[in-house]
Amino acid sequence: MKESSFSVQINGEEHTAYPGQTILEVAKDHDTYIPSICYHPNLGTIQTCDTCHVNAGGEMVRACATKVIPGMNIDTTSQQVRDAQYEATSRILKNHELYCTVCDNNNGNCVVHNTVEHLEIEHQKYEFEAKPYAADNSHPFYRYEPDQCILCGRCVEACQDLQVNETLTIDWEREAPRVIWDNDVSIDQSSCVSCGHCVSVCPCNALMEKSMLGEAGFMTAIPPKVLEPMIDLTKEVEPGYKEIFAISEVEAAMRKSRIKRTKTVCTYCGVGCSFEVWTKDRHILKIEPQEDAPVNGISTCVKGKWGWDFINSEERLTKPLIRQGDEFVEATWEEALKLIASKLTDIKEEHGSDAIGYIASSKCTNEENFIFQKFARAVMGTNNVDNCSRYCQSPATAGLMRTVGIGGDSGTIKDIEKSDLVITVGANPAESHPVLATRIKRAHKLYGQKLVVVDLRANELAERADLHLHPKPSTDLVWISAVTKYILDQGWEDKDFLATRVNGLDDYVASLDKFTLDYAEETTGISTDELIKLATMIHEAKSVCGLWAMGVTQHMGATDTSTAIANLLLITGNFGRPGTGAYPLRGHNNVQGACDFGTMPAWLPGYEPIQDDHVRARYEKAWGVTLPKDPGMDNHQMVEGIDKGKLKALYLFGEDMAIVDSNVNHVDSALESLDFFVVQDVFFSKTAQFADVILPAAPSLEKEGTFTNTERRIQRLYQVFEPLGDAKPDWVIFQELANLLGAEWNYEHPSEIMAEVASLAPYFAGVSYERLEGFNSQVWPVAKDGTDTPLLYTEKFAFPDGKARLHPVDWTPGFEAGDEYDLHLNNGRLLEHFHEGNMTYRSEGLTHKVPHPWLEISLEVAQERGIEDGSLVRLSSPYGHVKVRAIVTDRVRGNELYLTMNTREEHEMVNRLTSSYHDKITHTPNYKEMSVKMEVLEEKGESPLPKVNHRFGNRMPQISVKVEEKWKRDDFTPITKLFETGANHFGEGHQAN
Amino acid sequence: MAKATKQIKREVPHPEEVQSQAVADIVTALAENREAILATIGIVRQLNDMGVLSAVEALLDKRVDVSEIAIQQINQPAMHNTFKNGMTAFKFLGTLDPGQLQMMLSGVGNGFEKLGEGSAQKSGNPSLWKLGSSMRTPEVRQSIATMVSFLEGMGESFQEQKEIH
Repeated sequence: MKESSFSVQINGEEHTAYPGQTILEVAKDHDTYIPSICYHPNLGTIQTCDTCHVNAGGEMVRACATKVIPGMNIDTTSQQVRDAQYEATSRILKNHELYCTVCDNNNGNCVVHNTVEHLEIEHQKYEFEAKPYAADNSHPFYRYEPDQCILCGRCVEACQDLQVNETLTIDWEREAPRVIWDNDVSIDQSSCVSCGHCVSVCPCNALMEKSMLGEAGFMTAIPPKVLEPMIDLTKEVEPGYKEIFAISEVEAAMRKSRIKRTKTVCTYCGVGCSFEVWTKDRHILKIEPQEDAPVNGISTCVKGKWGWDFINSEERLTKPLIRQGDEFVEATWEEALKLIASKLTDIKEEHGSDAIGYIASSKCTNEENFIFQKFARAVMGTNNVDNCSRYCQSPATAGLMRTVGIGGDSGTIKDIEKSDLVITVGANPAESHPVLATRIKRAHKLYGQKLVVVDLRANELAERADLHLHPKPSTDLVWISAVTKYILDQGWEDKDFLATRVNGLDDYVASLDKFTLDYAEETTGISTDELIKLATMIHEAKSVCGLWAMGVTQHMGATDTSTAIANLLLITGNFGRPGTGAYPLRGHNNVQGACDFGTMPAWLPGYEPIQDDHVRARYEKAWGVTLPKDPGMDNHQMVEGIDKGKLKALYLFGEDMAIVDSNVNHVDSALESLDFFVVQDVFFSKTAQFADVILPAAPSLEKEGTFTNTERRIQRLYQVFEPLGDAKPDWVIFQELANLLGAEWNYEHPSEIMAEVASLAPYFAGVSYERLEGFNSQVWPVAKDGTDTPLLYTEKFAFPDGKARLHPVDWTPGFEAGDEYDLHLNNGRLLEHFHEGNMTYRSEGLTHKVPHPWLEISLEVAQERGIEDGSLVRLSSPYGHVKVRAIVTDRVRGNELYLTMNTREEHEMVNRLTSSYHDKITHTPNYKEMSVKMEVLEEKGESPLPKVNHRFGNRMPQISVKVEEKWKRDDFTPITKLFETGANHFGEGHQAN
Repeated sequence: MAKATKQIKREVPHPEEVQSQAVADIVTALAENREAILATIGIVRQLNDMGVLSAVEALLDKRVDVSEIAIQQINQPAMHNTFKNGMTAFKFLGTLDPGQLQMMLSGVGNGFEKLGEGSAQKSGNPSLWKLGSSMRTPEVRQSIATMVSFLEGMGESFQEQKEIH
């Protein structure tokens, strides 16, 4: 696209430009400054601020909206241009009072401040006028101050077209325009999902994080009754803005000495957003996303932007605890580690190495997972090591390893963005992978991407989809196979691709015989017409991405269903090209990395089989030990092993197994019967209640390391704070314990652990901390020279012959609880809380938005059984009971219920109801296959979801900020009109802006 | 076998222990900074004797009220003028050529010296003729030429201002 460059002249100098670039972009490329307050690289052209006017080929134009043409002559510095920019900036300042030194946004990056300063504006042409609106402080996390709002519309653009939540608009109709939420309600009452986009892109202090107010500046905490006259005074006596700016610059520079800015990677899902954390001592001032963050740019979700209060929670574990009878007693690290070392040694000597299990954490770093599995294998001599991918995405990994060879996403978020057709199956990205969902919503809204959602619930993406299919629970494999068969029957398969790149076509085609459209309609409840429509959409799309999550993987036939998705994509040639591929959406920040770095019973780091003698020999040589050959127990087998008396001790870190494993009644009794149990965590979790020793760990903000997101992208996190109390980073704890057991490790920094991985695992050969500096990242496999692989399979699939393998699969019907259990129970996450909420409930604001879990009940069932919002019901399955309050909604249909998992209360936990049945290949529990019966305990009660929740809001969809409506206002005079003939007559009364 | 428990026996340090540790820390810090501390005590004592401490204490205690009054006093037209004039004067100083100013000021100084010598008083009321002949001296001519240039420059600036307004 960039091949045919041409040249343009900017201020008399020749510069290279490319077709499609705007004047502003070309100028930026060549370091020529053009003011541009409303333009943001992540948002594009908005055209509200008018400050970017330049003279191009003799005409005054907006640099942000005018495409360059060959030979164009651009002038950015003449008096006429400066006058036009001065006029535009003066209109801005009519809406914005400059009190920079006492403004919390004066941190060197305020766009309005920097523009006014750059243009050397000494005095403003139009006097500042306050707007007739009070500030909106209703939202727990941010405020809107209309008086400071310059109506640039960045926030609206971000909300409408980047986050695509469609809450913000500017009402250009009223006398004094302003930003409004929904149909002009308070922010807290609106459909705002608190993602923070608007605040992050605001070029001034109109939208501010409340955590910044009165905190960021040295003089910003001055009470209003002193501050206001001070501002008046300054304005009265000001000699000109230059002097004022000199002071505000000094103040901004002083702030830099006490405000620390540290890059980190979010821990709230697998998307892998990175951003700066701004801190003052242990106080988090704000999360400041950066446009060069590789995954998210300036995007965040409510948890990533605001959900970090837990870091200073008084409930953090800060000292090792040792069980004495029925209580825990504080201990020193020495006592705790010595006890662990001696207990583990005793058990190993008495029962053998395999009597101890090790459960790793998908929330902790790659380095920590690596040395944990090294500890289990090399120091303790067992392969009984696993992580929580067992609870979620192991079936997807297995399905992909069978068919295309690598158990990870085929491409990156960029491929999902540019795909012609995105199909999500059993996934709710708008809540579970919010920033990834924004890219789909944006492509769908603005660029014609087609979207198909297959899900039991009408989740947000389903509401927006071109096609929403609702299959009967646990029947995904059937419709996927039927659609594949139909495509083959029509001769729509990618014949070249299949002939040159894929093995096993004949056997596979034969295996599809039974999956006729009629059979599929009968089994799945999806009509033949809908199936044909889907097949046709796939056929007509030039590129297709298949996305799936727990709705697929938490079933008894999960690996096979994942395989079926890969088969469908292979048949249609949707691998190895931009915009194509299979995307299992990873739920935790480092669930991909935990698997990649070897905390799996059958795999060494980089998915090399433990049973392979050559591979083992490489590690044995490096570590100077003999490694056990046979794969160890996975999580599920460990719980079974405890039951059978084979497993005596467990060492678990960063995982709340007693809540998140299925059938927790059973898990609880297993944990109770362990001889020795070590739990290492940030909080005193439910699981920790069963421990013998509890070790206080440091969360991501208190250590260095790397995470690998769902794209296979490795990113560095830097230390923001010192560990709280006596807490320590997990890798430090493992090393100290290993050394007590004679390991003689000497890692001084996680980078040394990564260097060891790079030397051992071919997938990570070129990974290094230097290459990952700052916002740099690497998508594995990474060759030794540092070349990474954002898009897989462009030339070959990850098998010895380079060809993919179609893998025949058959349908496994879901678990049937019995006729008396007449309601199907679905369950999962929600936007505002992470999992059970151990971290997110420590945020007052998040708890204000969502204080409780809730049970979604369809209108039909509600009417039939007299249930309304707030009714208390008891659900019973063959495994247990819960008591929760209901929300009646059309998100669920008929006899299907949905229970959210955000609770730490025993009687509300969904896993009191789930069973121990599991995927036959990977042992991932079938969380999504349960039926229950329901009794109404109280017909009336308080709604579990407060009215200030975004789910009750009214979105106001529109494209961008509707700047045309501003231009139509009587009081608006286009800048071009004032300067069109080079005349210098300044008009009056043109200050809509 | 371990039943789930939420009981944690936290070692809450004895208040006396905490206090004695704190006192020990303070004593160590004092000993390490003996000279500085003793000097500081001297200063504080004098401030106290002068009544400064109690005034500062009251000021800090009522800082919001005090600043409100202060800012109200400052936020008056007369004060605005003072600020503006101060800033104008400050800016004016920035525009002067230091060499010239030095020459000028040393000239003024010398003038004062001459004045001090009392030559003016000595000669009583000089006759016009006498003044006229003083004019002929190179010193006075130089001085008058300088003043005329100065007046010219000032006049130019006044003219310009007139055209603008």
